[in-house]
Amino acid sequence: MIRLQNVYKEYNGKPALIDASLHIGLGEFAFLVGPSGAGKSTLMRLLYREELPTRGTVTIGGINITKLSKAQVPLLRRRLGIVFQDFKLLPRQTIFDNVAYVLRALGVDEIDVRRRVNSALAIVSLADKDDEFPENLSGGEQQRVGIARAIVNGPPVLLADEPTGNLDPQTSLEIVQLLERISQRGTTVLISTHDQPIVNAMRKRVISLKQGQIISDVDSGIYEMEAMK
Amino acid sequence: MRVLRETTIGLRRSGWSNWLVISILAIALTIFGGVLQTTMAIKEVVSSWGSQLEISAYLKDGVEPQKVAKVISQFPDVQIVEIVPKEVAWAEMQSNYKVAALSNPLPNTLHVKLSNVQAVEKTADKLKQLSTIEHIRFPLKVARNLNRFRQFLEIAGFVVTGALSAATLTVIGNTIHLVIESRQREIEILSLTGVSPWYIKGPLILQGASYGLAAALIAGSFLFGLHSYMDPYIHDQLLSFLPMNNTGTEISLLPTFVVVLTLGVAVGAGGSAWTSGRYIKI
Repeated sequence: MIRLQNVYKEYNGKPALIDASLHIGLGEFAFLVGPSGAGKSTLMRLLYREELPTRGTVTIGGINITKLSKAQVPLLRRRLGIVFQDFKLLPRQTIFDNVAYVLRALGVDEIDVRRRVNSALAIVSLADKDDEFPENLSGGEQQRVGIARAIVNGPPVLLADEPTGNLDPQTSLEIVQLLERISQRGTTVLISTHDQPIVNAMRKRVISLKQGQIISDVDSGIYEMEAMK
Repeated sequence: MRVLRETTIGLRRSGWSNWLVISILAIALTIFGGVLQTTMAIKEVVSSWGSQLEISAYLKDGVEPQKVAKVISQFPDVQIVEIVPKEVAWAEMQSNYKVAALSNPLPNTLHVKLSNVQAVEKTADKLKQLSTIEHIRFPLKVARNLNRFRQFLEIAGFVVTGALSAATLTVIGNTIHLVIESRQREIEILSLTGVSPWYIKGPLILQGASYGLAAALIAGSFLFGLHSYMDPYIHDQLLSFLPMNNTGTEISLLPTFVVVLTLGVAVGAGGSAWTSGRYIKI
């Protein structure tokens, strides 16, 4: 589902990602780990075409996204769900409207919007809080709204960039378990994180980045902090 | 429909700053419209004076005036060629002045009227080259001064339009930038979830266009009031002191209003499009 081939990315002549190659299959669940500056965010931005690689190819669902025109980028992003560290919720809109916002912008009819939003909120266990405003929710609940918004359009790929960065350990574990359940429904999930306890608790595939290079890619792996030093 | 709804939301959120932008834009468009209307009116008057300028061409003896008049009437910018036979000129002279009884010394004359003042010198040069013409006479200094004045008005109009457009673009650009800043999060979410750029930028462009439209309507009302108040004074008093015939030099406000409206909407939408392109990366 996601494939990188010899991807190199530099900013002002300084390499951020060096000849990265990897493949993540359909419905797979993987962590992308590494300390700050390792290249995790760069790799994520390449996947949702916020950035273009200096060289190499990035393929999602068989489409080389580095070749997409500007006009085609929105079509790619409709097939991706993105979860952010800072949730990115609209404070003046209810939970329901936050999740419905993008569907409405995409021109989905209101009956379908209602059906899809209710379903997404049920998956993240927030069906009873649909008319609340974000400020009335805890951090974990806000992140679940972010996840509901990311999955509401039924994307085959879900990218989560440090989704537990602002949460306590218990809530972080719940969020990652929720993402794993979503993966079990057939969605490819890639989580970038440097949250060692969570990664080690899940025992899932772990792709480790250090100074822009993939130094290990292990199924049922752990986050080895020592190797990062 | 969705874009219109987002535009309305954007306008509502901008609150008092809407009025600030519209006021500044309306002032700029009023000044621009005033300058344009004045320039057009003065140009019309100057042009009307210019068309009252004529070249007198005195023909050689034995030349048939009708034939020469026919040739000259083919020249570009020539409006009318009036033939004054030497007999008519002589009779007129005799009736006006006491002249000695001698044989008619005057030549056949052609009065050449032109459609615009710029053509006076050029046409005079061409007439000089005709072998059938003995001599020509025309108010060279007046023609040159009128030409210079007309050119000055054109340049002044161009400079004023450029300066006001730049000022207006800056004001609109800043306002739309503020709107983008206040909607940063929504724009980021929409962009990353694959909503089309038109849906994101369209409301901002329409917001800019609506500023332009509202400002142009206000400026148009001002100009209409000013025009209705000033026009009688200008025609009945100011122009009546001038030594030229100024009839038929009234300028309608409609073309100015159309230009102000088009410029307002274009600058509004263009300024927003430019700012959106600069600050929204999709």
